[in-house]
Amino acid sequence: MRINDIQKKIDAEVIFKATDADDININNVTVSDLMSDVLVVDEPELLIVSSLATDQVLRTADIVCASCVVIVNEKNLNQQMIERAEEFDITLLRTPHTTFKTCAKLNELMSE
Amino acid sequence: MDKSITPKNPPLIFMEMVYKMRIKDVMTTPPVTVTRRQTIRDAKNIMKEKQITGMPVAENNRLFGVISMDDIIQALELNQLDDPVEKHMVTNVVVLEQDMPVSMGISYFGKYNFRRFPVLDHNNILVGIITSRDINTSLLQELLKEINKLEDNSELQPDQMSLTKKYNTNKYDFEHAGRAANDIKKFMKSKHRNPKNIRRVAVAAYELEMNQVVHSDGGTIRFILTSEKVEIIADDVGPGIDNLEEALVEGFSTANEWIRSLGFGAGMGLVNVQRVADEFDIKSSKENGTTVHAVINLF
Repeated sequence: MRINDIQKKIDAEVIFKATDADDININNVTVSDLMSDVLVVDEPELLIVSSLATDQVLRTADIVCASCVVIVNEKNLNQQMIERAEEFDITLLRTPHTTFKTCAKLNELMSE
Repeated sequence: MDKSITPKNPPLIFMEMVYKMRIKDVMTTPPVTVTRRQTIRDAKNIMKEKQITGMPVAENNRLFGVISMDDIIQALELNQLDDPVEKHMVTNVVVLEQDMPVSMGISYFGKYNFRRFPVLDHNNILVGIITSRDINTSLLQELLKEINKLEDNSELQPDQMSLTKKYNTNKYDFEHAGRAANDIKKFMKSKHRNPKNIRRVAVAAYELEMNQVVHSDGGTIRFILTSEKVEIIADDVGPGIDNLEEALVEGFSTANEWIRSLGFGAGMGLVNVQRVADEFDIKSSKENGTTVHAVINLF
């Protein structure tokens, strides 16, 4: 999945676009609000879906080398999150959809 | 023993530093002063209050001399504490100019037997005072900065060098938590380490850091990096883990709802560290807090 296609599919707002965002092909998705669960995931080209709107999501994403983070439910994102996305050069998207609907749409896109 | 500040064959960095830094960068400004007409008793009281051992005698920033503890002791012996300062001050004063390099200050302290030098600007206006302590403190701070830069740029050679990095954590400081893990990842990446190993080190560091932020009253995360392995030592100040066996069970956590709402307390922390580490050891007591030692081999 291309990040552009993901953004359109889940009606997401691009909060920060990483420098390599156009070259990345997302092959793996993990969904969690508990960061320790995310740290167990060892998959390349990873996208993290979370309803946790803190900069720890970005810190965790950096550690597992994730390419993109999607925050659901149109949560408010604080300045620190945006700064961390910039610092670690990770694409940060925000969608109005719930976790379930976001995942369902991503699954559709992956099956295409 | 040679007690001068400058070593015989000083490293280039040191020489650059003492020529680059100016007297005005290290002097104390504005200086504490006394006037000619004030009494020796006044001077003694000012020195006592300001905890100094000497000061310039000046009026309207014009320098007339220097009065020191030695002069006051002499006046005291002669029972002349009510004399004006000008009667006992030293007038053949050696001064430094504020735009001179610090190297000049260092050589003055070696050359003259004074413990302080008044500092003037190019119009001969008194702008500060400098002691060897001012120079030492500033040099040490600059040296620390340079050493930090060197550490960041140093290449690790097999068996020749180990590098230590240390980070502090504070209770519930979620804003800075994770910094150690992100930093160490960035550092190892810059040294072109194997990505799998970088990830293992970062995961262990992050979990240990979070454990300290969530469960302890604060602590430190230390990394000892060599070409063969990375050791992580997480030391906290307490309060210690009640039941170590339980703490190492997957899914067990004493974190409350608030912590969980922040994304932590899945009961996976120590389990994750064990999973990525080649060696793992944990000690905990009420008196000494908790120490976790994790080793990640780089081969």
